[in-house]
Amino acid sequence: MANVTTTAPGQAPATPRFSIRGALTAAEIDFRLFGMLLALVAILIGFNVVNEGTFLRPTNMTTLAVQGAGVAVLATGMVLVIVARNIDLSVGSLVGFIAMSYALLMTDWLPNILGMGDDFPFRWLIALAIGVGLGAVFGAVQGFIIAYIGVPSFVVTLGGLLSIRGAVWVLSQGAAVSGLDPTFQLFGGSAQGSIGGTLTWAVAIVGSLAIIGLIVYNRRQRRRFGFPVRPMWAEVTIAAVGCLAVIGLAAFANGNYWPPGAATRYAQEHGITEPAGGLKIAVGLPWPVVILIGVTVVMTFLATRRRFGRYVYAYGGNPEAAELAGINTRWTVVKIYILMGILCAISAAIAAARLNGATLDVGQSYELYVIAAAVVGGTSFAGGIGTVPGAVLGAFVMQSLAYGLAYSGVNSSEQNIVAGIVLIVAVAFDAYNRRRGGGS
Amino acid sequence: MHIRRVAALLAAAVVISACTSGGTSPSAGSGSAAAGGCVVGVSWNNFQQPRWAATDKPKMKQTIEAGGGTFIDADANLDNQRQLSDVDTLISKGAKVLVLLAQDNKAILPALQKAKDAGIPVIAYDRLIEDPSGSILYITFDNVGVGKAEAEAILSKVPKGNYVLIKGDPGDANASTFLPSGWNDAGLKDKIASGDIKIIGPKDGTYTDAWKTEKAQANMEAIIDQANAANKKIDAILAENDSTALGVVAALQSKNYGFPPLSGQDGDPANLNNVALGKQYVDVWKNSNELGKAAGQAALQLCQGKKISEVSITVDSSVAPAAGNTPQDFKTPGGNTVKSIILKPTPVTADSLDKVISAGWYADKAAICKGVDTSSSTAPAACK
Repeated sequence: MANVTTTAPGQAPATPRFSIRGALTAAEIDFRLFGMLLALVAILIGFNVVNEGTFLRPTNMTTLAVQGAGVAVLATGMVLVIVARNIDLSVGSLVGFIAMSYALLMTDWLPNILGMGDDFPFRWLIALAIGVGLGAVFGAVQGFIIAYIGVPSFVVTLGGLLSIRGAVWVLSQGAAVSGLDPTFQLFGGSAQGSIGGTLTWAVAIVGSLAIIGLIVYNRRQRRRFGFPVRPMWAEVTIAAVGCLAVIGLAAFANGNYWPPGAATRYAQEHGITEPAGGLKIAVGLPWPVVILIGVTVVMTFLATRRRFGRYVYAYGGNPEAAELAGINTRWTVVKIYILMGILCAISAAIAAARLNGATLDVGQSYELYVIAAAVVGGTSFAGGIGTVPGAVLGAFVMQSLAYGLAYSGVNSSEQNIVAGIVLIVAVAFDAYNRRRGGGS
Repeated sequence: MHIRRVAALLAAAVVISACTSGGTSPSAGSGSAAAGGCVVGVSWNNFQQPRWAATDKPKMKQTIEAGGGTFIDADANLDNQRQLSDVDTLISKGAKVLVLLAQDNKAILPALQKAKDAGIPVIAYDRLIEDPSGSILYITFDNVGVGKAEAEAILSKVPKGNYVLIKGDPGDANASTFLPSGWNDAGLKDKIASGDIKIIGPKDGTYTDAWKTEKAQANMEAIIDQANAANKKIDAILAENDSTALGVVAALQSKNYGFPPLSGQDGDPANLNNVALGKQYVDVWKNSNELGKAAGQAALQLCQGKKISEVSITVDSSVAPAAGNTPQDFKTPGGNTVKSIILKPTPVTADSLDKVISAGWYADKAAICKGVDTSSSTAPAACK
């Protein structure tokens, strides 16, 4: 997320006099994304002030990130769906269906029908693979009906929302299912479900190297093809800020220690004598956040560096032109929905692991949060406009409000009021900016 | 609340079941109406929730047939119109008494009128019917009593300390009115006033949209973070029902918080399992086997020509109505007065899980005791 460079090879006009906007333009930083990052920081600081400095603690931010990860994962796909002038209302129900499948697979079907008991190796992986397969199939079916039969996506996925939620009921016969595979539970991101201090540092170092590598590679490529390059000061600043942010976040995440009770248990189980102040084990990045980072990188890559992504944006910008240019637009739409289905399976794994089971209402109204995240993140319903990192940021803007308000003791009705207003304000602000700034 | 929570989902389920069931007409259950015998017609609003088919129906049927009556029924599949035509069918099949689980407490009134015209007494089963003429018998569990039982169990375990209150959907009268008034009946309000109990999080409790488990989990995690930041320890949690209690347990687990005493209600298998595992202290259980039995007894007596006010039921002492075994006046929220028999809910803790198992609840011993280490000295006796 620290990597806020845009990849569109836009023209960088020379700035006659210094201005923040001018500097951002020269550095090719997405103004909208930058503004959203500032808004997110402002929200977090605001809650910190209201809560007398107790809010901005590593533990709290970890909770916030884990709670938002499921919706953020889906938002990365919803961007592409909306960019291609479609909508997917079925994501919440599909998450619920796959979460219930995971739970039933691991508690009933695999052990009782196929005889894979608790000690069966990689049972969790088998369940996960089946879930991903289910997601892809559901996505493909919906995508096929939309693209090849020509039923509007709103209708198809509204039908999906209803019927898939009904199928959750049929699967579970109305009862909640609990008690998942211990390995699978790591997806939920509790203290045990985190990668720990050392690996977090490793992730940070890899991330920093990737930022530097990407900047160097981009500069070379632009030189090679005679594109204008960013000014050197911008390159260095972006690299420095990016690396600092990544390493700073890692240090912050590692400031979160295991809860004392769990640490004591761990010490006893591993025969370690606890030091006087208690054993301090860094929690580091929780698995849901690691998964989200991975998904964001892959989805950004798909959207900006692969032919598939180019087709999606081309189709969203002008469907007729894309068709005439020889793009197989129908197949592109089907692929978007398959991708969305797979993301539902990933999000469902996080949700099910967090609950250590599945209830009938897992994923309910996710579609609204996910669409809101994409839209707050700058995705336009007119099609053709929207970025993956923007949607992830949008998800976290919404989640930080929900978590912050709950943390401050505000009840859910008021939370919903605030969320609704923020959604409208964000889009209104965006529309205003677009008109003033003269397009994207 | 269980019912309400799932009602929204069921609206969706109808789409599927309408296809799968192939639109079968209301299939009146077993046997044709024996001439002169007591035929009891039962109209269910839905069979999607496992409870009705698993406990209520078999027990009611068994009671009626043991008394020499005939049991016929129909499932309206959550459809008000269909329930009205179901009632017509039941009457034409010769029902002498009607038992109605109404899909809607007002939309059912035309059916009530038809029954009245035909001189057939009506029992409102589990769910109230707003009958302006007050001619029905309402047989249900005590919802305020559920709240009272939850709070009594937790308060006796943790008389002083920091409490978290997790409530259900803010639009549901059960969540905002009935259950909290039960909590206060058990002494919660007084203890808050005296300072013995302090509330962490919103003073009025934290509401959970649509009784959603995930939402309860997210709220509880925020409350735990807040308590940790303020160096406060959470000593007990009052959750109104099982779906929210499940979310609370998930939050406690993800935060490695340990398991302070926690309440719930419904007798859901996953929650009874948590009771056995020591993750939920009490689950207030409405033994609907006894509810079915009470309705069956009342139906037989009405068949024999007794007036509603003369009905007398005998149920297990654990659920016996506080007001006695005969119908009492009940003021409905709609301002009507009907006769009612209100059964007492049963608080279930790890020590009393055998009550649920021996009653033949749809959560069986295997489900309730799943994952319990039976060799451990702390394992509940019911699982050994």
